[in-house]
Amino acid sequence: MKSVPIKVEHEGKWVPTTMGIGEDRFRIDAPLNTEIFYKSVVDLDEKKNQVVITAGAEGKTVYRVASVEKVLSVLKKFIIMQASAYRLNAYFMSPAVRGGVLIQDARWDKGAIAVMKTGIWFVSQEKQVCIPIGDVAGIELTSREIQEKDLNVVKIDHLSENEVVTSFVLCPMTTLQVLYNFLKEATRDSEVNEEIDPLTGQVAMLVYSGMDSSAIENMLKLSHKDLDAVYERLLEIGLAEVLYIRKEVQLTPKGVRYISDAVKSPIN
Amino acid sequence: MGRILIVDDTMFMRTLLKNILFSGGHDIVGEAADGAEALARYQELKPDLVTMDVVMPKVNGIEALKAIKAADPAAKVIMCTAVGQEQMVKLAVKSGARGYIVKPFQAPKVLEEVKSVLSA
Repeated sequence: MKSVPIKVEHEGKWVPTTMGIGEDRFRIDAPLNTEIFYKSVVDLDEKKNQVVITAGAEGKTVYRVASVEKVLSVLKKFIIMQASAYRLNAYFMSPAVRGGVLIQDARWDKGAIAVMKTGIWFVSQEKQVCIPIGDVAGIELTSREIQEKDLNVVKIDHLSENEVVTSFVLCPMTTLQVLYNFLKEATRDSEVNEEIDPLTGQVAMLVYSGMDSSAIENMLKLSHKDLDAVYERLLEIGLAEVLYIRKEVQLTPKGVRYISDAVKSPIN
Repeated sequence: MGRILIVDDTMFMRTLLKNILFSGGHDIVGEAADGAEALARYQELKPDLVTMDVVMPKVNGIEALKAIKAADPAAKVIMCTAVGQEQMVKLAVKSGARGYIVKPFQAPKVLEEVKSVLSA
């Protein structure tokens, strides 16, 4: 097992140590002195130059490891290919659409998909893409023209750096159906079951497109109060969250005095 | 910044695009609600760029794109359509479209695409 330098979180502090990456397990040296089989890993999450590995039957042991991209990439690949997760070989295209703009040079990568506790991982020779389950905005079984044939694909809409991104997965139909059902179940919490009236739908679409309150009021000819009522509905059904609260103010006697004085001797 | 013609059969989408493009400093020189009107408006206004919906009554976006390209081979057209109609991309690109936007879209990405097509 070749050793590589890493930092591991131990008792709330980052401690420099070494890690051995083997075929079926990895080892974290002192102060942890532990060996973890990839198949015991139940979840994998990444944050910049760190990975968070959850292992054990009840997923109680969490390891936070920081290292250079090359080391983490090898470690992630072993974990994704052997961890305790729903996994299948497939082609994937991620991202295919970003913010509504089709990525013209997007291509299909041949690799594997692993659905873990908190994320969907795509891994190929060149790429490792993680879509956190909490960021999935939609799952759809649809068709897409590939090499002049209409083929079934699973379409995943997800948020990435505040942008809505679409990714596609392609594999045989029977596996695709299983993957679709699995992902549907994993993302059941974000399904919309409530009735949305047309005005609320339009406001949601404008918020999605990046319009602010005053642009929405102008576009839909709504008063501030009417728009607030629609926002309340969006908040109530969990389709939106408060970014900040806009204030309406009136002048105090001091403010009125300032304006009166300013009119007498104009300010520039 | 460019002079832009917006073509879409729904007023809501035209207004949304108008707001996005205006916020990016572009000048909206005209609007059209179908492909036939798009060609007439294009010839009249000679815009720097057209955003063209694909699915429209009378003359659809692909037909209108072909007609505009026949009248002006240098025309810059960005196609705009709903999710699930991405198959139209090849046809649109083959017919001369410079870019493709999928509804629903986000303002910063639309502005990036418009900027990239205008500067190409």
